[in-house]
Amino acid sequence: MESKELNQKLTSKDLTRLAMRSCLLQSAFSYERMQAGGWTWAQVPLWKKIFGDDKKALSEAMTDNMEFINTSPPMVSLLMGLLMSLEEQRVDRQTIKGLKNALFGPLAGIGDAIFWFTIMPIVGGIAASFASKGNILGPIIFMIVYFGIFLLRIPFARMGYNLGAKAIDVIQENSEIISRVATIMGLTVIGALISSYVTLSLTVKIGDVSLQKDFLDKIFPNILPLAFTFLLYGLLKKKMSPIVLILLTFIMAIVCSFFGIM
Amino acid sequence: MSITLTQGLLLGVFAIIAGLDSWLEVFYIFRPIISCTVTGLILGDLQMGIIAGGLTELAFAGLTPAGGTQPPNPAICGIMTVVIAHSTNVSPSTAIGLSLPFAMLMQYILLMYYSVFSFFMPKLDQYASEANTKKFAQISYLTMGIVCLTFFLVTFLSAYAAQAPMAALVKAMPVWLIHGFELAGGILPAVGFAMLLKVLLRVEFMPYLLLGFVVASFINFDNVLPAAVIGIIFAMIEFFRDKKHKELQAEIENMKNSDNFFGGDQDGI
Repeated sequence: MESKELNQKLTSKDLTRLAMRSCLLQSAFSYERMQAGGWTWAQVPLWKKIFGDDKKALSEAMTDNMEFINTSPPMVSLLMGLLMSLEEQRVDRQTIKGLKNALFGPLAGIGDAIFWFTIMPIVGGIAASFASKGNILGPIIFMIVYFGIFLLRIPFARMGYNLGAKAIDVIQENSEIISRVATIMGLTVIGALISSYVTLSLTVKIGDVSLQKDFLDKIFPNILPLAFTFLLYGLLKKKMSPIVLILLTFIMAIVCSFFGIM
Repeated sequence: MSITLTQGLLLGVFAIIAGLDSWLEVFYIFRPIISCTVTGLILGDLQMGIIAGGLTELAFAGLTPAGGTQPPNPAICGIMTVVIAHSTNVSPSTAIGLSLPFAMLMQYILLMYYSVFSFFMPKLDQYASEANTKKFAQISYLTMGIVCLTFFLVTFLSAYAAQAPMAALVKAMPVWLIHGFELAGGILPAVGFAMLLKVLLRVEFMPYLLLGFVVASFINFDNVLPAAVIGIIFAMIEFFRDKKHKELQAEIENMKNSDNFFGGDQDGI
């Protein structure tokens, strides 16, 4: 406890700075190392503060961190804060590197589950339902939510720093339940989005009977969008590329338009 | 209505901001709902920009970089959808289809940069081992600068320089083709949702997907909020059940351990 206070060089202002600089994570993105360049660059000022004139320590830290890393951009400050608290304690390099490699993957999993697969469909879906009626509230809601997510980088950095090595258990123990819960929320909303926003209806008439209005809608409304989404899902599972599916969608729509089916 | 030079330049400047944001993934102003709205504002047609933003956002709802595949660039798609709808008078949902080639062009340029930027890595390694933070930062500025410049050029050329051929193309399109593009714009969200399903869907989660679908099909409400609330309810139930399950398991473990302890004791006697 005493030694921690003795070694403590970083202030809460430094951690806020780290959180802001965590935005640079993907600045030098490449296939070879993914986020390594930006990941290293973002942390340089705090390392300088910790290591002072010790050029050798800075060089070692930078070199270690240039190894491959690919994690969740909105949550990366958590990992940076965590590792920074260890750097400050001068924990040996091998341990820090090991922890980094053990944690960036699970963190990416949690981040993707929360931010891309849950928050994006929910917030995007709700904001788009306002916007597609011409209501400016749509884009405004979207911007406010995502600005809030940006600001979360600050508490994430502090949390990582304060928990230190304890954060490891928290991340590893909870990553499974967090992704489960997020998946449930995400899928419920995706089901609703398929019903509300995939527009697919037939204009064909057999005699006086409209195939869509008098037949399909009476059986189950929006059954065609659901069926078509599952068709695409099946094709994706067969390793078909999304670009091919987009093209297929266009071809189908244009052909149906030409023959007056839709 | 045609795009003036000033508007073209303004769009280019906005593309730098939105493009850099799509590179770094920080503020999410690169998402179509924002990029369409801002483009509408620049072109003096805010209302149409917002509507196009809603439609394009849905088309891109599932097209995320998570899971490893880079989608058509949403910033460019948003900007070009509004530009095309504004300059050729087609409906926004038709314009989505016409803007996709531009978004795919940007997608392929970025994929190329991901490969090309690998060549900078040895330099970064060298500066890292020398602890030369200044030179290290310069490389990062360089990569970001290249990305910004590309976004400016692609947007300015697509929106301003290519508007005459674009208008001619749209004019030459027969009605059934325009209508086909419009239909495709409405179906397109299905591709994104299918991609989300590919990542998320397992048999045990199927009930939640169907629940959301049924709720939205039979409740007359303007947006997906009711489904989101129901999703949150089930997520909470699952969360507490999992917690209880873990506690129970810990208790069983404890009992087992104490049993062994007893057993050991008795064996001893």
